[in-house]
Amino acid sequence: MKKTKQWFKNLRNNFHFNSKKEIVDFFVRLVFLISTIISASFIIIIIAFIAREGIKPFVTDNNGLGAVNLFRFLSGRVWLTGTTFQSNLYSVGFIIINTLYVALLSLLISMPIGVLTALFIAKIAPKKLSSIMRTVIELLAAIPSIVYGLFGAGVILPFVYNFAKTLGIQSPGGNSVLATVVVLSLMILPTITALSEVAIRSVGKDIEHGSLALGATKTQTHFKVILTSAKSGIFSAAILGIGRALGEATAVSLVAGNAQNGPSFGIFQTTSTLTSTMLQGLKETIGLDYDIRFSVGIVLMIVILITNMVLNYVKKKVGNVNVK
Amino acid sequence: MSNKRKKFDKLLQIITYASSSIGVLILSLIVIFVIKNGVGLINWDLITNDYHAQFYNGGIDEVTTFSNTSRPINLDDEDVYSEKWGIALRDGLDREGKPIVEVTYIAEDSPLNLMYDKNNLDNADFEIEVENVISSIKFDNKPSALSLYGAEYMINELDAENQFREIVFSSLGGGIRGSLITTLYTIGLTLIIALPIGIFSAIYLNEFAKKNFVTRVIRSMIEMLTGVPSIIFGLMGLAVFVPLTTRYTPADGANLLSGSLTLAVILLPIIIRSTEESLKVIPDDFRFASLALGANNSQTTFKVVLPSALPGILTATLLAIGRVIGESAALIFAIGTTIKDDISIFGKSTTLAVHIWSLLTDEPANIELASTISIIILIIVLVLNISVKLLSKKYLKRV
Repeated sequence: MKKTKQWFKNLRNNFHFNSKKEIVDFFVRLVFLISTIISASFIIIIIAFIAREGIKPFVTDNNGLGAVNLFRFLSGRVWLTGTTFQSNLYSVGFIIINTLYVALLSLLISMPIGVLTALFIAKIAPKKLSSIMRTVIELLAAIPSIVYGLFGAGVILPFVYNFAKTLGIQSPGGNSVLATVVVLSLMILPTITALSEVAIRSVGKDIEHGSLALGATKTQTHFKVILTSAKSGIFSAAILGIGRALGEATAVSLVAGNAQNGPSFGIFQTTSTLTSTMLQGLKETIGLDYDIRFSVGIVLMIVILITNMVLNYVKKKVGNVNVK
Repeated sequence: MSNKRKKFDKLLQIITYASSSIGVLILSLIVIFVIKNGVGLINWDLITNDYHAQFYNGGIDEVTTFSNTSRPINLDDEDVYSEKWGIALRDGLDREGKPIVEVTYIAEDSPLNLMYDKNNLDNADFEIEVENVISSIKFDNKPSALSLYGAEYMINELDAENQFREIVFSSLGGGIRGSLITTLYTIGLTLIIALPIGIFSAIYLNEFAKKNFVTRVIRSMIEMLTGVPSIIFGLMGLAVFVPLTTRYTPADGANLLSGSLTLAVILLPIIIRSTEESLKVIPDDFRFASLALGANNSQTTFKVVLPSALPGILTATLLAIGRVIGESAALIFAIGTTIKDDISIFGKSTTLAVHIWSLLTDEPANIELASTISIIILIIVLVLNISVKLLSKKYLKRV
């Protein structure tokens, strides 16, 4: 007790505190500051640790297997040549292409549906219907991805299988590009709809009124004026949607079929994405087959980053009708 | 307006109606699918039972008096009853859809009540119960009656004898008690870790931080966390928290604690943003009044600002719980995919969402049980979402 008092006294002298209250104040601030620093530092921890583990396969000799060749890793067309635990010939080149391919296809499907639904909710629907629709979209957004995965495995896979059968194509259990794209479009639909709705809602009333005053019909105004004015916001929705599609893991791993080579462009071919590759073969806990997962993680982060940058650049180029 | 224009407008409108009906269609399809497949398994036993069946070998001494209870009237036609042994069996399906023979009735004077545990002779509580699953009855003088021949065959074989060597029976496995408890533990642990850090950060950013470059950088670093896919958080948990917990705790490998720590990082930006939003709507007059009365900054924060921000913090907590229940990709790495019945904070186990993933990646996939768990998850998530909506409607408007 005496010691603590002495310590407080010293502290008071050193920092020129006037009262005990100020010392408490100081410590509370300190705790808050430390919490904030902890919260902010996690992004660095994530990058640093995944980079540390992920670079290992390329710079060490992996217990005698030899270092993985970076160029081969990024350009190859077979996930693993040779047997597990005995080979360092890993490649993700085709997986990167697969990942971008399915993400873009699902964006192509859910973009028109999402934007039109957003327009419907924001402008066209009667008030009651629009609030019901908004709840539906919110519920869709709240459904966890594993349930989408279950839906994919239980409904979409058999559907794709039968569809392929009627076309005379043998599809392995329905696991295919098509099933993956459908599941992904279901999952990003609520994201795109919700964000597009905000964008459409924030278009100024005067623009709408201006168009109506010029003699355009309501529908013309909605499609030609409002959608054009909300272009940049809708584009942001697409960027977020594709980000979600690229990073989605569990649902995709259940319907993709884990193709070991590729790239697969045919809609009934099995495919594999960066995330589904990370989730396969979880049994290993040590060695190259474990570390390589972190390398795939780095590739995933870089792919997402580059896609975002490119899309943001395009968004700037496409430009923005000045709505202000 | 020309007629052509009118028709074209109508067409465009119909297209928007059609697009929005797709959303409704998807939602109803998902709900119908999980209910259709999962509702059959929903009952209280599923929630309280273990996942792994417990096997017993019951032996018996020479039987002198047999049962003479006649067939009880409340048995169904499917039940096959043996008057001699006082036991009713029925063909059924387990939670994986495989055929089993279930015990549906045991008479009070059944000689089977005298069975002892062959593996543990001191086990005094040992007895065969209703809902146990009989896998085989072994005899000394003839081949065993296996469950795959059905209940009727088993009863006939048993009736023909006065003695058997042993009955192998088990509890009905496939329950989700373990995963349910893990989920609750994970929610609790995650909130204990994430809530204080998140709330304190939000308060610092909103109340204390100067509006300068450093604060902006900190803010954008926290904001960046929301864009990271959850599987990357999983890798981070594997690289940071799993080694950390295995070094300082009895754990070996991924465990509940490392999973909760990983989830806490995922939740931080959600909690910070939600708390900050509720701090922002508190009028500055409150703060000035408190300061004018002589309270210092931390007193103002704890006694004036924080109580007014409670609804926002509650919203954040509910959102966080929803996220924990639904999260799968990160936890597959950070908590493991082994379904367990004995839960320890330092052991491997699965939350409900990872349980579904394990069931679906098994060969063959168990869609029924996965759907049943999905029903439970969906109900919880929907209730949470609705409460968040009501909460924010009620409180955020008021201030």
